This record gives sequence, C-alpha cells and structure tokens, in this order.
Amino acid sequence: MHRRTRAALALLAALLTLGSAACGIEPASADRGPDTITIDTANYPSTLDPGKQYDTDTYSVYRNIFDQLLRRDPRTNRVVPWLATSWRQTDPLTWRFAIRPGVRFSDGSPLTAADAAFSISRILDKKYGSQQYANFSVIDSAAADGSDLVVRTSVPSPTLLSYLTTLSVVPQAYVRRVGDKQFAVKPVGSGPYRLASATAGSQIVLTANPRWWGTAPSIRTAVFRAVPNVASRVADLQSRKVDLATSLTPDAADQIRRDPKLAILSTPTERVAYLAFNTIKGGATDDPRVRKAISQAIDYDALIRNLQRGYAKPINSMATPLAFGYDRSLPDNQHDPEAAKRLLRQANAVGATLVMATSPSFDPQVVQAIQGDLAAVGLNVEIRNSDQATYLKKVQDPGHDWGSIRFGKWSCSCLDSDGVIYPLFHTGEIWSSYTNPEFDTLVEQARETTDVARRTTLYRQSFDLLGRDLPGIGLFQSYAVYGANSRLQWTPDASESLFLDRMKVS
Amino acid sequence: MTALAAGSRRPRSFPASPRYLAGRLAQAVLALFGVTTIVFFALRLSGDPARLLVPEGASAADIERVRDQLGLSDSLWHQYLSFLGNAVRGDLGYSYVQNRPATELIAERLPYTANLAVAALILSVVFGVTIGMVTALKRGRWQEKVLMPIVLIGQAMPAFWTGLLLVLVFSVALRWLPSTGYDGPLSLLLPSVTLASLSAAAIARVTRGAVLEQLSQDYIRTARAKGAGTTRLVFRHLARNSAIPVLTVAALELANLLGGAVVTEVIFAWPGIGQLTIQSVSARDFPVVQAIVVFASAVYIVVNLLTDLLYGVLDRRVAGGTKAGAA
Repeated sequence: MHRRTRAALALLAALLTLGSAACGIEPASADRGPDTITIDTANYPSTLDPGKQYDTDTYSVYRNIFDQLLRRDPRTNRVVPWLATSWRQTDPLTWRFAIRPGVRFSDGSPLTAADAAFSISRILDKKYGSQQYANFSVIDSAAADGSDLVVRTSVPSPTLLSYLTTLSVVPQAYVRRVGDKQFAVKPVGSGPYRLASATAGSQIVLTANPRWWGTAPSIRTAVFRAVPNVASRVADLQSRKVDLATSLTPDAADQIRRDPKLAILSTPTERVAYLAFNTIKGGATDDPRVRKAISQAIDYDALIRNLQRGYAKPINSMATPLAFGYDRSLPDNQHDPEAAKRLLRQANAVGATLVMATSPSFDPQVVQAIQGDLAAVGLNVEIRNSDQATYLKKVQDPGHDWGSIRFGKWSCSCLDSDGVIYPLFHTGEIWSSYTNPEFDTLVEQARETTDVARRTTLYRQSFDLLGRDLPGIGLFQSYAVYGANSRLQWTPDASESLFLDRMKVS
Repeated sequence: MTALAAGSRRPRSFPASPRYLAGRLAQAVLALFGVTTIVFFALRLSGDPARLLVPEGASAADIERVRDQLGLSDSLWHQYLSFLGNAVRGDLGYSYVQNRPATELIAERLPYTANLAVAALILSVVFGVTIGMVTALKRGRWQEKVLMPIVLIGQAMPAFWTGLLLVLVFSVALRWLPSTGYDGPLSLLLPSVTLASLSAAAIARVTRGAVLEQLSQDYIRTARAKGAGTTRLVFRHLARNSAIPVLTVAALELANLLGGAVVTEVIFAWPGIGQLTIQSVSARDFPVVQAIVVFASAVYIVVNLLTDLLYGVLDRRVAGGTKAGAA
C-alpha cells in the first residue's frame, strides 16, 4: 500500500473507531494461532441450552460444550459408548446405562447418573417446552439407580439408542440454581470445550475445557461465526478469514475448488431429496400409473451430475443406504421417457396439469429440472413456491389440498427407516397424503420391535409396498459440503456434526 | 398553561406550537397502532411457527404441544388483546426461538445497526451533497458528464451486488479489508460504503435539483450581478436555501438505515436489526417480528417529526403548520 493510501485508511479507521465507541460496540476479533480455528455457519445458535432447540447450527456449537450419553462412530455410524460406558436391556421396556465414573462438569462438580436422568426428564417436562420432545416422547421415565441410568419406554423402542446419541447431559444442580434462562446464556457442561464468549447474533468463542475426561483436543480455541449468505462464506474462505465454512451449495464448491489453498470436504448424509405425491386429493397423481410415469420421466443422472455437481448419490427408495432397513436389492430408479409417455396415454393423463408445492429453502434448480422432465412426457407442472412456514402449513393440512407433487429434503437424524417412512406415509401423520392399511401395520410393528432380523424383514416388505404404490420417489442422497482451508484436518460424518475434538490444524 | 396558550396564538414562531406537536404525536401513535395491528394479523395468517420448531418426524400431537406452550392455540382475539395489553406496559413478548424478551434482542442488535447507519449517512451526505452541488454548478461541463453516470450506477446497483463486488475486490483480491463480521472499525468500511452508494445517489439527485432551482431564482442573478464569487454563492445562499429537500431525503434515508439495512447486513454478516428481521420472519418468530415493526415504525415517526421540527429552524413559515406563505 502507498503511504497516502495507508494514511487515508488510518484516518478513516480513527473516525470509525470513534463512531463505534460512541455506539458502544466492541470488536469481536480473536487471534488466529496454530491451535485456533474459525468456522462460518449459516445461523447464530438459537440457544446454548441443549435441551431446547434442535437445528443444525445450534447443535454444532452446543454439542462441543456438553457430552452426549452416546455417540456414533464417525466411520461405521454404529452407536458407541460416550458418557454411558455400557448398556443392556433388562426387559423389552427397560434399559440400564452405566455412567462413566470420574467425569466432572467445567465448574468442578461431578457428573452422575442423576444428572443424566434429569437431562431426559426436563425434555419430557411439559412446562419446560422442549422442541426436541418428539424425539424422546417414547420414554416413560428416566431415573438414577446408583451409578446407573435406568430408562423405561412405553413400548419397546428400537430407535431409543439412536436418539440418545443426541442427548446432551446437563448439570442438575447448576441448572436448578441459575434457572433455564440463565443456563442458556451461561451454560456449564462436561464436554471438551466451554463457552469463552458470545456476541449475540455474531459469534461464539469456545475454548478447550481443562477438566475434560478425554484426550485433550488439539484445537484450543474455536470461533463460530454466523454468516447467513453463502457467497459471503465463500469470500471468507477465499480471503483466509475462516478455516471452515458449512452448508455450501454445489456451485459454491466449484468456486472453492479453483483455489489451491482451499479444499472441499464432503460426505454423503442421511438427507434424502424426494418427491411425495398427493394420492388422496392430488388429481392426476391419485392414479398410481401417473406416479409411475413420473418416476420414469425424471432424469436422475442429470440431477446428480449437472445440478448437484456430483455431491449426491443415486438411491433406490425413500431412505438412504445409511438408514437401518435400507434394502440394497430393490431396483434402481429408471429414466425411461418413452415408457412414461405410454403409461400416461393408458391413464388418460396426457396434458394434465400438476401443482407442485415447494419452498425456496429446497433446491429450486432441481424443481425446475423436474418440471422440464415432466413437460417432455406431456405433463404440465405449475410450481407453487412458498416460504418454509407457509409450505409446511399447506402440506401438513389434513384436508390434503396442497396440490399433486411436493419436493423436499428429509433427515431424521436417527439413521433409521422408521424416522423417514413412518412420518411421511403412515395414515394420518401430518406429512402423509397416502393411506394403505397394509403399510401402516408393517411400519407400526417395525417401530415397536427390537428384534433386528424381524425389523429388517418388516422394512423390506414396507419398501416393496412403497415401490409398487409409489406415494413418493427418493431422488438422491444429499451430501454435506464444507469448504476448508487446507491446514484443517477433519473428516466430516454422516450426521452433519461438528465435533471439534475430532479436528486438527497444522 | 400560559406557555401553551401563548404558543397557540403565535403560530409562526419556533419552537413549534404545542397544538401542532400534540396533533403530530396523536398521528404518530395512531400510525404505530395501525401498523402493529396489520402485522399482527398478517403474520398469523401466513404460517405456523410451531411446525418450524419441532423436529421433522414430529406428530400432530407434538405440534399441538408446542402451540399450547407458545399460547398459539388461544383464539386470535384473545392473543391480540393480550398482545396489546402487554405492549402498552412495554412488554413485547418472548422470542419463540431464543426464549428471550424481544425488546432485549433488539436492544442487543441496535448498536450495530446504529453504527452502520450513522457511518453510511455521513458518507452519503458528504458525497451526495458534493456531487449534487458540483453537477449543478458545472452543468454541461465535463464534471457533470463524469459524475452523473456514477450517480445513476450507484442508484441502479442493488446492494447485494455492490456489496459482493466490494468484498471480491477489497477482501478476496487485495486482502485489505475484512470481508464479513465486526472485527474493529475497518470492517465498518465496506458495508457502510455499500449502503451509502444507494443513499448518496438519492441525496445527490435531490441536491442537484434543489440547487438548479435556486440558480434560476432572481436573487442569485442579483447576487451574481453584484459580483459574488462562486464560494460565496454556494455557502451564503445555495446551501441554506437547498437544505430542506436534502434534509428530508437524508432523514428518510436515516430512518431506512435504522429500520434495518436488511440485504447489506446479511451480506456482511453484520449482527444488526436487519439480520434479526430476516431470521425472525423466516422462523415466524412472531413476538420478535412485531417488536421490530414497532421499533422501525417508531423510528420513522420520530425521524419524520424531528425533520418537520427542523424545517422550522430553516424555514419559519412551516413551524405553525400553516404553509400559506410558503410558495
């Protein structure tokens, strides 16, 4: 920089400093040493109380402050011990977890089975109003028995362990003393990190917790920044302001790939892009032949290759291969426009108009591509785009008056077919515009059986039925796409978690 | 009381008459009430926040539970009346998403927006007035031919485009300035220039128009004939007489900026009211959206009121509320 430029910038900086001081705002800078990492996420966490909210960006931060009862092995996705060192079922409704001895919260108090029981009970407490209630509602009671946590469910629950990987353990005494509101602002956990500072709406700084029971993490300080605009997150990576940016789109990934100092980290997730049909009041889509024709009209390969830029994988049903119950033997989706035309002629549906409900938070390019594919076989698609809240209000209505097709992306964070096809297609569930008593019985039984072989069979039969009836089409398995500075060593996992203790910087 | 009576008998004096003030205040309260009511009902017609709060596999019963918790299962009138009752007492409710008072959320974000707004306003007044004056005084000369297209581009470029362009040049290519967030005063530069590019153009056009109008007046010709130089002309005559329209635009721009420079704040990850607005609307966080609307309307109303009162200082004919002699 020239001397004049520098002088001008200095003068400007001085002026602006005065302005900032007058408004009472402080710079939120953090030094970036070799053991510090800066991460851009799309949203600022809505809370730091792990019993309340559930969205990805909130999760990413607070799960580092707390320990979970169980975790998943990032390579195999199997449930592995964490705060619970072992567990067994004493009867179909009762689970007993041994709690790790010697664990302390960052304020020095010991973590006990009573804290674990309290963490579950408060989510179940109506007055507390947890938005995670739905995930734990199968639990009847949670109590401490010596150093064990005993969980009783109302029916046998095969997905209990899955959901317990999302349960963070909070300190009962501290929460009771300071109250829920204060706890959400000044959380105390037993996890590998603790809260250093928070600038509302802007950023949160975590530092390594010296009392943590595990191997000390190599990253000492982590700065989570809220940057809602994806182009701004890419610019932050390119200007070396941050080391990691989450929730990138496939075309943003292309931009990053051109920079030799940056890397794309991606992994298939359990999020499935799908079409669901209104089979009750959808008009043309009430006819299974039309649904079949639509499934043949779509060019799946083009969706994955051109629009997702390869950050997606073909699937053969409504679940991803990561979900329990996924059946590899089912036939793949077929792109066959000629067959589709024949079927539409048979069904007398050539030229029919279909209303397609979607929301801009789902990939608009995919919606348009499907519109084109269907036009090519003689179906007119009218896209009805509404924001997420309106979209949900429309499609979750028991009147089923939302149109013929909807596009969405689904993840239950449970790696189980139950969390996908039960809410989407079971009669009377808010998402379902499909009804089939045979299917209902199969998924009801599967949801209350802990026998793995029996569940596998039940899901095989359920997916067969769905393949025949086609109340929905699984389009592809989505990837989580991250942009990273190449000094970061980290392998993202299927559950889209950002565990800092699994990261390293060089 | 004497002061009141005296004031109303002397309509052309400044400060403005109490009756004029009271009328304006009553209007203001009515406007505030109207806007809030519309927003209250419009929000509730549009979508259900409970559905956005529950996990994807949640059942109808789970959603009902959350609705009860948030008080959304009460009748619309009941909700409206309790909202009004609380609002009068200064309680604008709790954020559904963050579980904190809506007013607290706004108070937390306000310094950021105020900082940005003031910086942008200073930049746009300095550049806007200068460009406006120069293009008017140098009409038909090269200065006008260079500056007018810049003004047009400034007004035509959307903020998201200007903002990203500045980031690409100054943060990604040159690495001189921070791209997003707030890490000290230098990070104020790009967002405030982005915001200023819009309002500076508006101010420049209004200034130019006002100055051109003044230039055609007799008194200028007289002054020129008496041999007044350009400097004297500009500072002695033009500045004061062109100030009212410029002040109006500047005040409205400030109200706009304070109410939330939504796009700019999102691009630069600036944690102000604008970003809070986007987040709260998409989450259907009713109490926060309502509180923002109350706040933004109040800013508009207060700024407008202050502007009108300032007119009085510049042009005493307005102060009494009678504009009879103004033309």
